[in-house]
Amino acid sequence: MKIAIGGKGGSGKTTIAGTLARVLAERGQQVVALDDDSNPNLAVTLGLPHGQAASLPAIPRDWLEEKPDGEGGTRLELKVPAEDFIARFGQPVAQNLTLLVMGQPDHGGSG
Amino acid sequence: MRGVLRGLVSTTSHMTVVDLEAGLEHLSRGTARHVDTLLLVAEPYFKSLEATQRSFVLAKDLGIDRIQMVANKIRSSRDEETVRQFAGRHSVTVAGVVPFDPAVVEADERGAAVMDQQPDATSVIAVRQLADQLLSAS
Repeated sequence: MKIAIGGKGGSGKTTIAGTLARVLAERGQQVVALDDDSNPNLAVTLGLPHGQAASLPAIPRDWLEEKPDGEGGTRLELKVPAEDFIARFGQPVAQNLTLLVMGQPDHGGSG
Repeated sequence: MRGVLRGLVSTTSHMTVVDLEAGLEHLSRGTARHVDTLLLVAEPYFKSLEATQRSFVLAKDLGIDRIQMVANKIRSSRDEETVRQFAGRHSVTVAGVVPFDPAVVEADERGAAVMDQQPDATSVIAVRQLADQLLSAS
Protein backbone atom coordinates (compact mmCIF):
# COMPACT_ATOMS: atom_id res chain seq x y z
CA MET A 1 0.00 0.00 0.00
CA LYS A 2 1.31 3.44 -0.98
CA ILE A 3 -0.26 6.12 1.14
CA ALA A 4 0.07 9.88 0.76
CA ILE A 5 -1.22 12.33 3.31
CA GLY A 6 -2.25 15.78 2.20
CA GLY A 7 -3.86 18.80 3.76
CA LYS A 8 -3.60 22.47 4.36
CA GLY A 9 -0.74 23.80 6.43
CA GLY A 10 -1.75 23.54 10.05
CA SER A 11 -4.26 20.76 9.44
CA GLY A 12 -2.15 18.33 11.44
CA LYS A 13 -1.27 16.18 8.43
CA THR A 14 2.35 15.73 9.50
CA THR A 15 1.40 14.51 12.98
CA ILE A 16 -1.01 12.04 11.46
CA ALA A 17 1.54 10.91 8.85
CA GLY A 18 4.24 10.37 11.48
CA THR A 19 1.98 8.54 13.90
CA LEU A 20 0.44 6.41 11.15
CA ALA A 21 3.89 5.38 9.89
CA ARG A 22 4.91 4.38 13.42
CA VAL A 23 1.71 2.40 13.98
CA LEU A 24 1.96 0.56 10.66
CA ALA A 25 5.57 -0.37 11.46
CA GLU A 26 4.45 -1.66 14.86
CA ARG A 27 1.88 -3.78 13.05
CA GLY A 28 4.78 -5.49 11.29
CA GLN A 29 4.67 -3.66 7.96
CA GLN A 30 7.97 -2.66 6.39
CA VAL A 31 7.44 1.08 6.12
CA VAL A 32 9.24 3.92 4.39
CA ALA A 33 8.17 7.36 5.57
CA LEU A 34 8.84 9.96 2.92
CA ASP A 35 8.93 13.65 3.74
CA ASP A 36 7.87 15.51 0.60
CA ASP A 37 7.13 18.78 2.36
CA SER A 38 9.53 21.62 1.52
CA ASN A 39 9.41 22.52 5.21
CA PRO A 40 10.27 19.03 6.44
CA ASN A 41 8.98 18.14 9.90
CA LEU A 42 8.05 14.51 9.58
CA ALA A 43 11.14 13.36 11.49
CA VAL A 44 9.96 15.00 14.70
CA THR A 45 6.51 13.45 14.55
CA LEU A 46 8.16 10.07 13.93
CA GLY A 47 10.12 10.53 17.15
CA LEU A 48 13.59 11.41 15.90
CA PRO A 49 15.26 13.88 18.24
CA HIS A 50 15.31 17.44 16.92
CA GLY A 51 18.08 18.08 14.43
CA GLN A 52 18.75 14.40 13.74
CA ALA A 53 16.88 14.26 10.48
CA ALA A 54 19.35 14.53 7.67
CA SER A 55 18.41 15.68 4.21
CA LEU A 56 19.52 13.25 1.58
CA PRO A 57 23.14 13.59 0.55
CA ALA A 58 23.96 13.85 -3.13
CA ILE A 59 23.06 10.64 -4.86
CA PRO A 60 26.07 9.03 -6.56
CA ARG A 61 25.99 9.66 -10.27
CA ASP A 62 26.48 5.99 -11.10
CA TRP A 63 23.27 5.17 -9.24
CA LEU A 64 21.32 7.17 -11.79
CA GLU A 65 20.63 6.84 -15.47
CA GLU A 66 18.97 9.00 -18.07
CA LYS A 67 15.83 7.59 -19.61
CA PRO A 68 13.60 9.02 -22.31
CA ASP A 69 10.71 10.90 -20.73
CA GLY A 70 8.37 10.19 -23.63
CA GLU A 71 8.24 13.87 -24.55
CA GLY A 72 11.48 14.08 -26.50
CA GLY A 73 13.65 14.76 -23.46
CA THR A 74 15.24 12.67 -20.78
CA ARG A 75 14.73 12.24 -17.09
CA LEU A 76 16.88 10.77 -14.39
CA GLU A 77 15.89 7.44 -12.93
CA LEU A 78 17.37 5.19 -10.30
CA LYS A 79 19.56 2.50 -11.80
CA VAL A 80 19.66 0.50 -8.58
CA PRO A 81 16.70 -1.27 -6.99
CA ALA A 82 14.60 0.93 -4.71
CA GLU A 83 15.42 -1.31 -1.73
CA ASP A 84 19.17 -0.74 -2.21
CA PHE A 85 18.58 2.98 -2.27
CA ILE A 86 16.48 2.87 0.88
CA ALA A 87 19.06 0.74 2.68
CA ARG A 88 21.85 3.14 1.77
CA PHE A 89 20.17 6.53 2.17
CA GLY A 90 17.25 5.92 4.46
CA GLN A 91 17.47 6.89 8.10
CA PRO A 92 16.37 4.12 10.49
CA VAL A 93 13.71 5.45 12.87
CA ALA A 94 12.29 2.40 14.57
CA GLN A 95 11.94 -1.29 13.86
CA ASN A 96 10.54 -1.72 10.32
CA LEU A 97 10.59 2.04 9.76
CA THR A 98 12.92 4.15 7.61
CA LEU A 99 12.77 7.85 6.85
CA LEU A 100 13.67 9.57 3.59
CA VAL A 101 13.63 13.36 3.44
CA MET A 102 13.30 14.74 -0.08
CA GLY A 103 14.72 18.14 0.80
CA GLN A 104 14.35 21.31 -1.18
CA PRO A 105 12.05 21.39 -4.18
CA ASP A 106 13.63 21.26 -7.62
CA HIS A 107 13.92 24.54 -9.48
CA GLY A 108 11.85 25.46 -12.50
CA GLY A 109 8.86 23.33 -11.65
CA SER A 110 10.53 20.19 -12.87
CA GLY A 111 9.56 18.35 -9.69
CA MET B 1 16.14 14.72 -7.83
CA ARG B 2 12.75 14.77 -6.23
CA GLY B 3 11.45 13.16 -9.39
CA VAL B 4 13.84 10.26 -8.83
CA LEU B 5 12.65 9.82 -5.27
CA ARG B 6 9.03 10.02 -6.26
CA GLY B 7 9.54 7.17 -8.67
CA LEU B 8 10.81 5.15 -5.75
CA VAL B 9 7.34 5.20 -4.23
CA SER B 10 6.10 3.16 -7.18
CA THR B 11 8.94 0.67 -7.29
CA THR B 12 9.66 -0.15 -3.66
CA SER B 13 8.09 -3.18 -2.06
CA HIS B 14 7.86 -1.23 1.21
CA MET B 15 4.65 0.26 2.39
CA THR B 16 5.06 4.00 1.98
CA VAL B 17 3.64 6.89 3.96
CA VAL B 18 4.31 10.20 2.21
CA ASP B 19 3.85 13.51 3.97
CA LEU B 20 2.94 15.73 1.02
CA GLU B 21 3.75 19.36 0.49
CA ALA B 22 1.37 21.50 2.56
CA GLY B 23 -1.46 22.92 0.53
CA LEU B 24 -3.28 20.81 -1.98
CA GLU B 25 -2.56 22.69 -5.18
CA HIS B 26 0.69 20.70 -5.60
CA LEU B 27 -1.08 17.39 -6.00
CA SER B 28 -0.97 17.09 -9.76
CA ARG B 29 2.77 17.55 -10.25
CA GLY B 30 3.86 15.90 -7.06
CA THR B 31 4.26 12.56 -5.45
CA ALA B 32 0.55 11.93 -5.17
CA ARG B 33 0.33 10.41 -8.62
CA HIS B 34 2.55 7.55 -7.49
CA VAL B 35 0.30 6.42 -4.64
CA ASP B 36 -2.78 4.22 -4.43
CA THR B 37 -4.25 5.80 -1.32
CA LEU B 38 -4.62 9.51 -0.67
CA LEU B 39 -5.71 10.64 2.76
CA LEU B 40 -6.85 14.24 2.91
CA VAL B 41 -6.68 15.65 6.39
CA ALA B 42 -9.40 18.19 7.07
CA GLU B 43 -10.48 20.21 10.06
CA PRO B 44 -14.18 20.76 10.71
CA TYR B 45 -14.47 24.30 9.44
CA PHE B 46 -15.45 25.85 6.16
CA LYS B 47 -12.07 26.89 4.74
CA SER B 48 -10.50 23.54 5.44
CA LEU B 49 -13.38 21.62 3.88
CA GLU B 50 -13.46 23.95 0.90
CA ALA B 51 -9.76 23.30 0.26
CA THR B 52 -10.39 19.57 0.56
CA GLN B 53 -13.16 19.79 -2.00
CA ARG B 54 -10.81 21.32 -4.56
CA SER B 55 -8.28 18.59 -3.99
CA PHE B 56 -10.88 15.85 -4.54
CA VAL B 57 -11.17 17.06 -8.11
CA LEU B 58 -7.40 17.13 -8.66
CA ALA B 59 -6.90 13.74 -7.04
CA LYS B 60 -9.64 12.10 -9.11
CA ASP B 61 -8.00 13.45 -12.27
CA LEU B 62 -4.77 11.75 -11.23
CA GLY B 63 -6.56 8.42 -11.09
CA ILE B 64 -5.70 7.61 -7.47
CA ASP B 65 -7.60 4.45 -6.52
CA ARG B 66 -8.59 5.37 -3.03
CA ILE B 67 -9.25 8.94 -1.92
CA GLN B 68 -10.43 9.26 1.65
CA MET B 69 -10.70 11.89 4.33
CA VAL B 70 -9.32 12.00 7.82
CA ALA B 71 -11.15 14.37 10.13
CA ASN B 72 -8.72 16.02 12.51
CA LYS B 73 -8.94 18.19 15.64
CA ILE B 74 -12.50 17.08 16.26
CA ARG B 75 -13.86 18.59 19.48
CA SER B 76 -17.48 17.50 19.44
CA SER B 77 -19.98 15.18 17.80
CA ARG B 78 -21.16 18.23 15.90
CA ASP B 79 -17.63 18.69 14.47
CA GLU B 80 -17.62 15.06 13.40
CA GLU B 81 -21.05 15.38 11.84
CA THR B 82 -19.90 18.46 9.87
CA VAL B 83 -17.08 16.46 8.28
CA ARG B 84 -19.23 13.36 7.72
CA GLN B 85 -21.95 15.36 5.99
CA PHE B 86 -19.38 17.04 3.77
CA ALA B 87 -17.84 13.66 2.91
CA GLY B 88 -21.28 12.24 2.20
CA ARG B 89 -22.10 15.06 -0.20
CA HIS B 90 -18.91 14.28 -2.11
CA SER B 91 -19.21 10.48 -1.88
CA VAL B 92 -15.92 10.20 -0.03
CA THR B 93 -15.25 7.84 2.87
CA VAL B 94 -14.07 9.16 6.21
CA ALA B 95 -11.24 6.74 7.02
CA GLY B 96 -10.52 8.16 10.44
CA VAL B 97 -11.76 10.66 13.01
CA VAL B 98 -8.98 12.08 15.17
CA PRO B 99 -10.03 14.13 18.18
CA PHE B 100 -8.50 17.42 19.18
CA ASP B 101 -5.82 16.30 21.61
CA PRO B 102 -3.79 18.47 24.01
CA ALA B 103 -1.15 15.70 23.97
CA VAL B 104 -0.37 16.63 20.35
CA VAL B 105 0.12 20.27 21.31
CA GLU B 106 2.40 19.26 24.18
CA ALA B 107 4.44 16.92 21.99
CA ASP B 108 4.82 19.66 19.37
CA GLU B 109 6.10 22.04 22.01
CA ARG B 110 8.67 19.50 23.12
CA GLY B 111 9.65 18.55 19.60
CA ALA B 112 8.74 14.93 20.28
CA ALA B 113 6.42 12.30 18.86
CA VAL B 114 3.06 12.16 20.60
CA MET B 115 3.34 8.36 20.48
CA ASP B 116 6.47 8.46 22.60
CA GLN B 117 5.11 11.04 25.02
CA GLN B 118 1.65 9.58 25.53
CA PRO B 119 1.14 6.25 23.78
CA ASP B 120 -2.47 6.08 24.94
CA ALA B 121 -3.40 9.63 23.91
CA THR B 122 -6.81 9.82 22.26
CA SER B 123 -5.29 10.97 18.95
CA VAL B 124 -2.87 8.01 18.92
CA ILE B 125 -5.72 5.58 19.55
CA ALA B 126 -7.62 7.17 16.66
CA VAL B 127 -4.62 6.75 14.33
CA ARG B 128 -4.32 3.09 15.39
CA GLN B 129 -7.93 2.64 14.31
CA LEU B 130 -7.14 4.42 11.05
CA ALA B 131 -4.22 2.04 10.45
CA ASP B 132 -6.38 -1.01 11.09
CA GLN B 133 -9.03 0.33 8.77
CA LEU B 134 -6.47 0.85 5.99
CA LEU B 135 -4.87 -2.57 6.49
CA SER B 136 -8.18 -4.40 6.53
CA ALA B 137 -9.35 -2.67 3.36
CA SER B 138 -6.16 -3.16 1.36
